[in-house]
Amino acid sequence: MKKKDNPVVAEAEGFTLRRREFLGMLTGVAAVATMAGPSALMAKVMDNGGILRVGAPANPSSMDPATGGSGSDHVFLFPVFATLVEWDYDTLKAEPGLAKSWEYPDSKTLVLNIREGVKFHDGTELDAEAVKFNLDRSRTDPRSNIRSDLASVEKVEVTAPHEVTVHLKSPDTSLPLVLSDRAGMMVSPSSIKKFGEESDRNPVGAGHMKFVEWNDGDRIILERNPDYWNKERPLLDGINFRIITDSSTRLRSVMSGQNDVAYQLEGRQKPLIERGGSVEGVYGATVYCFQIYLNHASGPLSNVKVRQALNYAINREALVRASMHGAGEPAYMNLPSSHWAYDADVAELYSYDPDKARKLLAEAGYPDGIELDMRGYNDQGSVQRQEILQGMLADVGIRGTFKTGTVPDMSAAYFARGEGDFLVSAWTGRPDPSLTYALLYAGDSYFNAGKVEPPEGLMEAIRASRSTADLEERKKAFSTVQRIVMENALVVPLAFREDIMAAVPKVENLQTNLLGKPKFKHVYLES
Amino acid sequence: MLLNRLVQAIPIMILATFLVFSLLQLVPGDIATTIAGENASEERIEEIREQYGLNQPFLIQYGNWLLNAVQGDFGKSLLSGEPVLETITRVFPNTLFIVIYAVVLSVVIGLPLGILASSKPNSKLDGAIMGFSSLGVAVPNFWLGMVLVSIFALGWNWFPATGFVRPGESFTSAIWFATLPAIALCTNGIAEVARQLRSSLVEIHSSQHVRTLHAKGLSPTAILWKHGLKNVSVNLLTVISLLFNKALAATVVVETVFAIPGMGNTIVKAVLEGDFPVVQGAVLAMVVTVIVVNLVTDLLYTVLDPRIKQV
Repeated sequence: MKKKDNPVVAEAEGFTLRRREFLGMLTGVAAVATMAGPSALMAKVMDNGGILRVGAPANPSSMDPATGGSGSDHVFLFPVFATLVEWDYDTLKAEPGLAKSWEYPDSKTLVLNIREGVKFHDGTELDAEAVKFNLDRSRTDPRSNIRSDLASVEKVEVTAPHEVTVHLKSPDTSLPLVLSDRAGMMVSPSSIKKFGEESDRNPVGAGHMKFVEWNDGDRIILERNPDYWNKERPLLDGINFRIITDSSTRLRSVMSGQNDVAYQLEGRQKPLIERGGSVEGVYGATVYCFQIYLNHASGPLSNVKVRQALNYAINREALVRASMHGAGEPAYMNLPSSHWAYDADVAELYSYDPDKARKLLAEAGYPDGIELDMRGYNDQGSVQRQEILQGMLADVGIRGTFKTGTVPDMSAAYFARGEGDFLVSAWTGRPDPSLTYALLYAGDSYFNAGKVEPPEGLMEAIRASRSTADLEERKKAFSTVQRIVMENALVVPLAFREDIMAAVPKVENLQTNLLGKPKFKHVYLES
Repeated sequence: MLLNRLVQAIPIMILATFLVFSLLQLVPGDIATTIAGENASEERIEEIREQYGLNQPFLIQYGNWLLNAVQGDFGKSLLSGEPVLETITRVFPNTLFIVIYAVVLSVVIGLPLGILASSKPNSKLDGAIMGFSSLGVAVPNFWLGMVLVSIFALGWNWFPATGFVRPGESFTSAIWFATLPAIALCTNGIAEVARQLRSSLVEIHSSQHVRTLHAKGLSPTAILWKHGLKNVSVNLLTVISLLFNKALAATVVVETVFAIPGMGNTIVKAVLEGDFPVVQGAVLAMVVTVIVVNLVTDLLYTVLDPRIKQV
């Protein structure tokens, strides 16, 4: 093999040198500082690290956080772009990121204190000016897909070299968690100026990995960022993503050793993973929720009793067992039980009770049942779910046939054109629950297909959840929100998808998170 | 003749790309919705249609594409922004490598089988070989691919289950990675080569010309190699060129099973998403390849059988 023919090898070798220099420097620091804990970690850094090979399910839509549109992009974006705010893996509580702290001096002002000495991959400074540039770009640029995420922002002001003051149109304490997502991913302003629209394929951030190469539908190569602000990270020398859309092939690539990790696998593959041998499973809850969207503008669904009947008619435990091979959590509201804002009382509202469903239908004036125009998707998993639901609903007298199509088509027909009575689909979740509730139920929201004004008190309760930064008070506000949503049966939650990953045993510290979008910051390979 | 053929190729290319472009209009789905992302409003989708010129009439869209393509500009993927030319020059060699590998395997295995079967027509051996060939035609590639993976990759660990190495990076690794996909792809080819060869050879062996050769006292081996195979070579060439074109189309499934970044995968994904610059570029590349293969076959005919030149 000629070396110059293989850019990856050449890269890796040039890289090892730089890495050794860096590690030499690191050990020097450790010796002087004699830090017991971190130095043990550093020993690991020296011995291990390695290049993590990951089987990913989809080609990114863009590597620019502001212009991309697919929820599957985040896994590629997180390593390259450090976010202003981060979250706890298990509960999605906000944690400091590039912003080492933030505060609300009043309900319409958010002050972010930006970490000092952070540099983008191109060597430019990540200061308050850069943050302002990013926030303004995300909320005003015509190519930005996340303008609505920052809709509550009135003006962004640099109040000190490392202090940004965000002035809001209305109180919005969901903003810190918004800044843990696309809107908080900081792109180097000079790279945007340099590349223009080409920034979609030339990402320059401040994350723990630097971008090397992206071949469509094939691979994405990342390498260690030696100047990452947290000197204990990264542990890996690089990440090589292989894009393998077929989930069976993705799992096979790990079983036969071409990859170290595969994520977003399916419930039916769990027995294969658990059969033992060369792979280990990593599982966790997510906020990704299969649910039935209801268009309650007119017809039988405009009657709250009919909507409640739908909720009583579905045996969620059975659905999880039958259609997800048990890899999921039955959903009784829009948040899973491990979420910080979960309310156990609300979850008890709709236990499976077909008799009550029949009774409610009769009370609503439909003793002989009803006929609905049902919509769904045409992939294998969706069709199976819809068949099961059809059976459960028919059992209480709710009949109908499903019209199915591709995801973009059926979604456009149902949400944008208001066709059909309900759509069996999913909600991918948002970092802050107030976004979820506002997007799903506000009167003018895209996902409120009937554009029905929300029940009394709902919007007030959502606003209340945004006007305090205190977590306990926010939790209380969300309990009110959830109770109003479920008592009015604005939706039929079905099940939360379980995040299923498979990894070879040498992969250490691989964790799922509630958003279902793995981060590899803490991962390393055992040598 | 060569110039003539090249001129004839131009309308074929235009017609093929136009047909594909028209068919793409019928595929359900709207790429503007996909580009706009997960919770886009109707206004945002409309804005994107405007930005990408997707709201223009169909003929104008095609005309624009053609005009740029003639000047060598095949555009960029609407979704990811990767230049189409870059995508094709990257993935097409992978597909070609597997297809050529599969065709070579078909010939190397099919040729002796066909000769063996024709040597004793209607014997048990002939029956067994022809039965095996029928099986080869009937077995679906993707199924065989998965069986091969579960035995040779996951079970015995002889070959990798997924992935691909470019021949330019390391030829031996490329062969190692491409072996299972090529085997999955070549069963059909083996069967066709063996069957065609057998029937052609049986026909020639029963001809008066061969009877005369026997009468002259030539050994059966000499008759086979000097006269039999020479006579069937044109037939065989036709089979191989058809095989090549067929395998090119059949890679889609095999590429998916083995996670190979190839042409088939690229086209299917682009069609499903409505990413028409990619589809158009890829189809054009395929059409050109088929035209070139047919042209080379025709030229080889005249080498193998000088009588063809006069026609």
